[in-house]
This record gives sequence, structure tokens and C-alpha cells, in this order.
Amino acid sequence: MTMKTLTVRNISGAAALLACLVAPPLQAHHSFAPYDMNKTQLLTGVVTRVNPDANHLQIFFAVMNAERKNVERDKEGNPVIWAVEMAGSAASAQDGISVSSFPAGTVFSVGVHPNRAGDPSGFREGPLFKCPVGTTGKAIPPKADQHCDSVEGRTAFGQGNLPAATK
Amino acid sequence: MNTPPSFIHAMETSAIGEWMRSNLLAMPLVNAAHVLCITLVFGTILVVDMRLLGLFDRSRSVMKTSDEMLHLTWGAFIGAAVTGVMFFTANATTYWFNTAFRFKMLVIVLAGVNMAIFQFITYRSVVNWDRNSPSPRAAKVAAALSILIWFSVVVLGRLIGFTKGYDVEVPASIDFDFGTP
Repeated sequence: MTMKTLTVRNISGAAALLACLVAPPLQAHHSFAPYDMNKTQLLTGVVTRVNPDANHLQIFFAVMNAERKNVERDKEGNPVIWAVEMAGSAASAQDGISVSSFPAGTVFSVGVHPNRAGDPSGFREGPLFKCPVGTTGKAIPPKADQHCDSVEGRTAFGQGNLPAATK
Repeated sequence: MNTPPSFIHAMETSAIGEWMRSNLLAMPLVNAAHVLCITLVFGTILVVDMRLLGLFDRSRSVMKTSDEMLHLTWGAFIGAAVTGVMFFTANATTYWFNTAFRFKMLVIVLAGVNMAIFQFITYRSVVNWDRNSPSPRAAKVAAALSILIWFSVVVLGRLIGFTKGYDVEVPASIDFDFGTP
């Protein structure tokens, strides 16, 4: 074996190893595998932040309780934060979804395919409905167990109705 | 996540940021241009660094190699900086708090320091080792560091894409009480 062939083999081996290391995250990055596409949950919450990522826009939100008078909280009393992930920022903007249309404090409803691992996140299904803002500048939440699509003055982002939740 | 400085918010809400987020072609085209520029930066620097390390043809003038390559390097670097800023404005808050992004910026500064030390100290004696003689140890060290640094820039740049955005600290300003009229 010459030095030249050894070097070529070393480089090839290193390249193959690098490809193996890089491939799993690349595959996971554009996959729906983390989400259970057979399940749908309907959630209404208060926006805490929008991450306008080029690949997948995410809206972080505190899930409202069933009475729609406050948000669900963990044992320490902190709001339970979910993330709904969707198409990239440019594609989402075609539906009107952006940092400026969903500022912190916005109340909205969305259908999600939940994360299989139980993490509080899901992939968007169907349109988003934003609850209107009252004269005080604060969002008007839906009635108990209802979603923003039931509130007069709501705004839809995307076509159609909220999906039906699976049992 | 803490609140970012006001200039970060201003960049994110700028017209360029809004355009980058909402135009379907903006991000793919700017992304492609950024990658092309970084490739040119690293590629041209690599040619000079390899000559300094004494790889391949030592009869080729160091000064000629450097002069030919560095015009391209600087042009590509400006392109990378402009497209990088455009990238940044699209999601400035997230990038600002991203560790990989911060390390990338730090490493680019280190590249500048390494280049300045080489250019203003080591390179002054280049006429003595321009061709047909080994580069001084300082030049070889600078070249090796340069390759390591720019390789790190590329790796950190890719890491940003896989580490940003999952941050759930709630701004204190949000009022979650909807029960009180």
C-alpha cells in the first residue's frame, strides 16, 4: 500500500465518518417523525414569542385553562409553554402569520399534531384563529372550552376551519 | 431568554428583516449567496495557507499567491458579511442569544487577529522567504491556525441551524389574567 492510496483511503474514511455524523440531524430536521400525525389536539393559548425561523416558524404560547380565564401552570406556578411549529417564515407569511401579526399577548387557537415524546410541542394542522383585541388593548378570550374561531371579530390565518380533535 | 438590546429589536423589525421573512425567494437566494461567499473566503485563504505551510510548489511566490488570492478573499468576505447581516435581521433575537452564533462571531474576530499579526509582523520579512525556501515558523503557525479557525467558522455556521430557537422563558410583561374585567 502506497502512501498515496493510504492518504486517499484516510480522507475517504474521514469523509464517510463525517457524513454519518451529519446525516441524522439533517434527516430529523426536515422530518415529521417527531410528531404523531394520526392525532390532533386543539389548543388555545397566549403568545409568548414567535421564532421566525426560515425552515420552520414556531409560535411559543402559554396554554389557556379550560375556563379561558388564565393559563395552565406547572407545580411551581409557571405557565405551561407549548410550541407550534409550521412551515418556514416566508411560507407562513403567505397566510399572514408573522412576528408582527402575533405579538406577545395575542390569544389564538390552533390544531396541532402533538410531539410523540410528550414534549409540549406540535406541528400545525389547518388555519390559526386569532381572538380580537378589546378596547382596553387586551385580547378577548373565547368562552369556557371554546376556541378563538367562536369569538366574534376573530381573524383567520389560513383556509378552512379548525380541525376536529381526535380522542 | 432575556430581552435583547434595542438595536437587535430594531434590526429584526426593519424593512430588510420583514422582507427576508416574508419573501419566498429571499432566504433561499441569500442563503445560497452566503454559502458561495464563505466557500470563496475559505477556499482562497486555504490556497495561501497551504503555500505558507510549504505544501505543493515552493517555487511559487508567496507574495504573488497572496496578492492574487486576497482580492477574491476580501470581495467574498464583504459579500458574506452583507448576506450574513441580511440573514441576521430575519431572526435577530434568536441569533443574538444563540451560543453557536456567538462562537462563530468570536472565531471570526480571532481570524482577524491572526491575520493582523501575520500581516503586520511576520509578512514584513516575506522577501527573504518568498520562493524556494521554507516559510518561517511564525508563518506556518499562522497558516495552521487560519485553516483551523475558518474550518470552525463553517462548522459553527452549520451548527446555528440546528441549535436555534427552542427557548421558552416567558416575558414578564405578559398579563395572563383574563378573568378580571
